[in-house]
Amino acid sequence: MIKLFSVKEKQKKEAAAANGKGVKQSAGELRLQKDISELNLQKGMSIRFPEGKDKLLHFEITMKPDEGIYKGGTFTFDFVIATSYPHDAPKVKCKTKVFHPNIDLEGNVCLNILREDWKPVLSINSVIYGLQFLFLDPNPEDPLNKEAAEMQKNNPRQFESNVQASIMRGHHINGHYFPPCK
Amino acid sequence: MNGADRWADLNKLLTRPGKITGPGFEPDPALLDFLQNDARVLCVGAGGLGCELLKDLALQGFGNIDVIDMDTIDVSNLNRQFLFRMKDVGKSKAEVAAERIMQRVEGVTVTPHFCRIEEKPMEFYEQFHILVLGLDSLEARRFMNQVACSFLEYDDEGNPDMSTIKPMVDGGTEGLKGHARVILPGVTPCFECTLWLFPPQTKFPLCTLAETPRSPAHCIEYAHLIQWQQERAGDEFDTDNEEHMRWVYEKALKRAEHFGIQGVTWQLTGGVVKNIIPAIASTNAIIAAACALETLKLITMCSTGINNYMMYVGADGVYTHTVAYERDPACTVCSSSVPFEVASTDALQQVIDALVADKTLGANLSAPSISHGAENLYMRGVLEEATHENLSKPIGELVEAGGVIQVNDKKLVSTMRVKLKYSDLASMQQ
Amino acid sequence: MKASAKKYDRQLRIWGAHGQTALETARVCVLGSACTATETLKNLVLGGIASFTVVDDAKVHASDLGNNFLLDSSALGKNRAAAVTDFLLELNENVAGSYVEESPAHLLASNPRFFADFQLILATQMTEGAQVDLDQICRELQKPLICIRSYGLVGYLRASLREHTVIESKPENTLEDLRLHKPWPKLKEYAASIDLQSIDDITHKHVPYGILLLKAVELWQNEHGSTLPATANDKAAFRAMLKSWQRLVDGVPVEAENFGEAISNAHKLFCPPSISPELNQILEDERTNLTPDSTEFWVLAAALKQFFTENNGQLPVEGSIPDMTSTTDMYLQLQRLYRDQADADITTVETHVQALLKSIGRNPASIPRTSVAAFVKNARNLRVVRYRTLKEELQLDTVRSDALRQALAAEDTQANASLYLLLRAVDRFHSTYNRFPGTFDGELEEDVALLKATVASVSADSGVGTAAVSDDLIEEIVRFGASELHVVAAIMGGIAAQETIKFITRQFVPVGGTLIYNAMASTTSVLRV
Repeated sequence: MIKLFSVKEKQKKEAAAANGKGVKQSAGELRLQKDISELNLQKGMSIRFPEGKDKLLHFEITMKPDEGIYKGGTFTFDFVIATSYPHDAPKVKCKTKVFHPNIDLEGNVCLNILREDWKPVLSINSVIYGLQFLFLDPNPEDPLNKEAAEMQKNNPRQFESNVQASIMRGHHINGHYFPPCK
Repeated sequence: MNGADRWADLNKLLTRPGKITGPGFEPDPALLDFLQNDARVLCVGAGGLGCELLKDLALQGFGNIDVIDMDTIDVSNLNRQFLFRMKDVGKSKAEVAAERIMQRVEGVTVTPHFCRIEEKPMEFYEQFHILVLGLDSLEARRFMNQVACSFLEYDDEGNPDMSTIKPMVDGGTEGLKGHARVILPGVTPCFECTLWLFPPQTKFPLCTLAETPRSPAHCIEYAHLIQWQQERAGDEFDTDNEEHMRWVYEKALKRAEHFGIQGVTWQLTGGVVKNIIPAIASTNAIIAAACALETLKLITMCSTGINNYMMYVGADGVYTHTVAYERDPACTVCSSSVPFEVASTDALQQVIDALVADKTLGANLSAPSISHGAENLYMRGVLEEATHENLSKPIGELVEAGGVIQVNDKKLVSTMRVKLKYSDLASMQQ
Repeated sequence: MKASAKKYDRQLRIWGAHGQTALETARVCVLGSACTATETLKNLVLGGIASFTVVDDAKVHASDLGNNFLLDSSALGKNRAAAVTDFLLELNENVAGSYVEESPAHLLASNPRFFADFQLILATQMTEGAQVDLDQICRELQKPLICIRSYGLVGYLRASLREHTVIESKPENTLEDLRLHKPWPKLKEYAASIDLQSIDDITHKHVPYGILLLKAVELWQNEHGSTLPATANDKAAFRAMLKSWQRLVDGVPVEAENFGEAISNAHKLFCPPSISPELNQILEDERTNLTPDSTEFWVLAAALKQFFTENNGQLPVEGSIPDMTSTTDMYLQLQRLYRDQADADITTVETHVQALLKSIGRNPASIPRTSVAAFVKNARNLRVVRYRTLKEELQLDTVRSDALRQALAAEDTQANASLYLLLRAVDRFHSTYNRFPGTFDGELEEDVALLKATVASVSADSGVGTAAVSDDLIEEIVRFGASELHVVAAIMGGIAAQETIKFITRQFVPVGGTLIYNAMASTTSVLRV
């Protein structure tokens, strides 16, 4: 332990110029600066900070798969980062309505690292890889949209043509309309 | 009533010499005087720990106490937050607590602040000698940690300047367990250094909730996270709204019945959705008193202190354990920043080049990005275009003298903090 | 109960409605009314005990206003027990309270039957001699006694009762016994009914790991005789076998979560949870030889022992299983199998209970099935705590001087064992000189010398005559001058309330020895002397 106070002097600390001091950003934002400076966006992907370059806690990532069933589509994900980042995972929602076994009609995404397998060593890059993977390899075995999962399993051809039709022209599937998202 | 009579017990500790004391302890009646008139302590939180802390601090002779809490009193607080009564439900915790302490302990002034901790300026926090935390969230702890650490200054050798240390004492409880710790920024680990002490909350996979629920908690989380959006889109879910909670409970119950899962109850629904931490009076009393005692020791040195983390477990007998955790030398919040001299007229690009060219700093830099506070001055990658124009600006326009910049680089494991000194403005840096 | 469910929500999550009911019917007697007493009572009143009675004849002094939150200047000169009762009643409208204006020492001499009305007696700031007398009274009445003291920066707590039995000890980490190494026939049949070859890919990825392990062990035993994998090689081979069962997609094995769980839980199969030493002691305790006066706990323990013996050292199935990656149906099916077997085992134990009750001439229906079920469910974690009398701890011929000597020698307990001796020494000092050491500022040095001599005599009387208590600690104790600091009282009051709640609810495990709290170093030690 160290002696911090001297009673005899009763020194009232000078109200040190608070200039340059202060909590301007949370520890979560500091970490996010590092993540963003190291972000790898592959071809066809883009990022947008709706509140400007100095407000990193909210952004949108748009991706365009160039292979697989979802090829040709444009999908936008909304990222909300809590100040408790990286203790807590980013909150990610798909803003583009998509017929996908692991994304439901409300835009919830079933990706393990966004929930049960999140660890503070993971980064925004890891989440983006995870999302890319979902489009390359939709997983009907742990579905969030059961109708999509069943169609993918039982009739992969029909599934693929439905997905492509919805991406290119907009398409009704099982009573839900999926607008085009080229 | 004579002050000496009233504080006779405490004064034995403050006025008598001892061998088992903190460094530099000098027994003196002036210590009590200092506690009563000069010491300024801020109690952060007026809940389970906060109520106890206020009582303990007041009866340890602290004459001026401030308390800050944004919460209002709820019925479920009354089993442990002993300063509150049924008639106080709905009122400010900070205000009622301050009033009750002043009613009971004569001569103490407790100043309440009914607001969020983020609302107060740095000047507010600066006035206190010590910060005592009675919080239940990691987020609030991390904020206070940044507050305390932001006062910290290092000398050019990287040693903390003792006069800038804002000590914090932190307590936490869960059921029959708790901890008390002392944080001297720059000397002992800060919250950020030991973030791993707080395990992330368990989260269930969404697909399990949707397709293969197996437990009552799965059913509750489905109703909370998925059904609500489907059936009440646009309606913001609020855990404090009883109707919302009731809705989730009923939907969860139906879902559980549908699948043949047992055990969805109203109590469990609250526990799962609100992540309620069980809390009892006794553990709060023990942990708060341990924290208050450490506060007294830090101010007066009247006894030895915790180095630096004490855990308490009361379920099987009574077990305590003290651990001296170590600082993270690369901590982005409390580690020393590296002093670096440039001219205020140098363009940002020149500063970056100088950093990369520097013999020691440059070893871990290839393509650095630079931020100052929340402001991203120059970022590689996705924000390159948005920040490119800053490269030609003089650094003095972007960062004040003595300001700290964050340097990120793929070659760095964690953020490097650099304190800029302007060779042409030497007089402004004391 | 319902109306207060909201108020008590945060604690109901710890000890449940049945724990709360126990609290709400408990009457507690507290001797003393200084801050160590009131800090204890505050916690108990908040928790919702039925009633408290404070016994003290002391008047409120100025010094009370410097350490007792429950007193203000309007109470100066009044009876302290009365004054604190008023404030305590404000804390919880569901709690009744009263006071007796009499010195605790006088009361226990004049009316020992007084204590018969209470569930538990708390003695605060009482010296050794009075504690011993009170202990004798409480033993005769079979009432738990908790003695606590705050002395400067030192705290002391000692409970006393012939025996305290705990069914719900609620350990933090429990190892569930899934009986994978010795499955009962129905469980075996169910595992066999799932054909890993023929099920579709999705079902294959959702077979609960319990089933996978059962199938793996069956195959293993067919190939290796009926032994479990024992060596490191065996275990690796076992895990590799599980791994090889995963299906291939395009020739590549796909990592499936259920198989991952099976592999990481295989240790549950290799070394099934053993019986804890505490449970072993209970099963071997002579009290399992029942008499007409045996308590419910021991009747149940005797029945459990019978089950245990008849089932080759197996405890009843607990009935709950951890979560496993699985389809809802397969998981619920598995859960049902465990529940059914648990029910069957409870019935077996219940039959034993009835026969045992009959054999000792008691009503065979006097222990309801719900009690049997609770006992069986917690069988693995049963606990019995027995306390020596305070007198036994204090007398040279009965004190466990070896334990004390060890504590005085070990680095982590040395200081606290010394404090234990010093607390005994200050009482002896008090009875010799009629004051505690360090009471007066002018006599500090003199008292240090006197206390040194007193500690030496206490050490000799405890059979640790040569033990050295550090001079620094002796001086520190004199420095404290029997002060009662609010924060130390708050800590001891917190611990005392917690221990009281453990005795009343019969949940969790109370401290089994003499607790010393060292507020200088912020450490605790439990001495079993």
